[in-house]
Amino acid sequence: MPTHDMNLAADASADFRRALLQADPRLSRFDPLPRIITFDDFDRGHCGWTSLVGNYEGSLDTLLPGYRGLTGPMLSTLSHWDTGSHGSHDGSYALKLATRPQRDALSVGIKRLTFRKPGPIRLEMYFTFKPEATELMLSDRDVKSVGFLFDLQMSDRAGRAGQRVMPHLRYLNSREGQLQQKWQFKHGAPTIQDIGNAAETVSHFHLGDNDWRDLPEGGQRLCYNEIATKVNWHYLRFDFDIASMSALSFQCNDREFDLGTFESLRMPAMKNLWCMLNVALFAQTDANKRAFLYVDSVCLSGDF
Amino acid sequence: MLRESSTTVVARNETWRGDSATEPLEAGWASEAVFFIRALRAPVGPMPKLFVEISPDGMHWVREGACVAMPTQENGVAVVRVAHFGNWLRLRGELPEGSECVVLVTVHLK
Repeated sequence: MPTHDMNLAADASADFRRALLQADPRLSRFDPLPRIITFDDFDRGHCGWTSLVGNYEGSLDTLLPGYRGLTGPMLSTLSHWDTGSHGSHDGSYALKLATRPQRDALSVGIKRLTFRKPGPIRLEMYFTFKPEATELMLSDRDVKSVGFLFDLQMSDRAGRAGQRVMPHLRYLNSREGQLQQKWQFKHGAPTIQDIGNAAETVSHFHLGDNDWRDLPEGGQRLCYNEIATKVNWHYLRFDFDIASMSALSFQCNDREFDLGTFESLRMPAMKNLWCMLNVALFAQTDANKRAFLYVDSVCLSGDF
Repeated sequence: MLRESSTTVVARNETWRGDSATEPLEAGWASEAVFFIRALRAPVGPMPKLFVEISPDGMHWVREGACVAMPTQENGVAVVRVAHFGNWLRLRGELPEGSECVVLVTVHLK
């Protein structure tokens, strides 16, 4: 086929795909790359999102301290004492991460995949966060942060240069009772610790409050609304290239952020994690009160 | 579509002393729940009954009526079943002074 005709065919294919996406009410609010890897609408269940547990050997007592109190996901209708079920973005259920009611407590949900082609991937989701409505107060400083990460490792063909790469982004809402309202990334090379005595298992805790840096002009005031039980949903998109292990772009609602200074956590490849593609979500409380991250839906897509 | 079914670990390697409870769990999508309580180590002292509690809002709790004796030996497993629980669920017990138990509590929903 002549080049001109091939281009016309490609354009027609792209137009047709776009029309299909835009006509589908489930996908029309996403902008997926050509291949949808997962589309998780939590009206269909947990969709493969589960609790995070740290590595252990012989006993759960060998978990690193940061992993010991983690709580995991549940399905929620955003049920409130004063208004009843809020429901999700376009249905009844959302995935909910709820921390314990102790300051700095974390809740994490994770989905574990592998990749079939190293290239661009895109994470999109509709999310919101709130503190537990235990006080009849505004309570907008009670959630410390919500965020997400990829946990990626190169192919086993990478050889000695193989790396495990973990891009993290969080919305730091509040710290020690002071509003922060900014996006941060996590950088550095974590300390890997041996677990147990068999010389087979290692671990590192990567969700601590250390080594976070602000995104340039990363401030953003989100729609918290006016009491703890009024909820508005936010759109988020993060593009990352597994081939170059670099972040490509990040958007929340109407704002696209500069990733010029963005770094990921990096460490040597681990012996059992080749082609890993994990996605995790987390919430942390800044008060002795539960913090909730709700996710209506997640679309993970790739260019392959 | 197949019926949704899930297992949630609501207490993992937690040492329970005194007034102890699992974190609130929203389970309104399910019509039945089964709690399993396993003692990960030999319990110390007398073990009490655990009560299933339900709530209108995840903050104010009442006993549902179901209860079960805690396991009394290492790897002992207790079980309690509930239905018609609305949305919020938790398991709560009051361990006597000096008693403690390291527990793994799971909830099986469908």
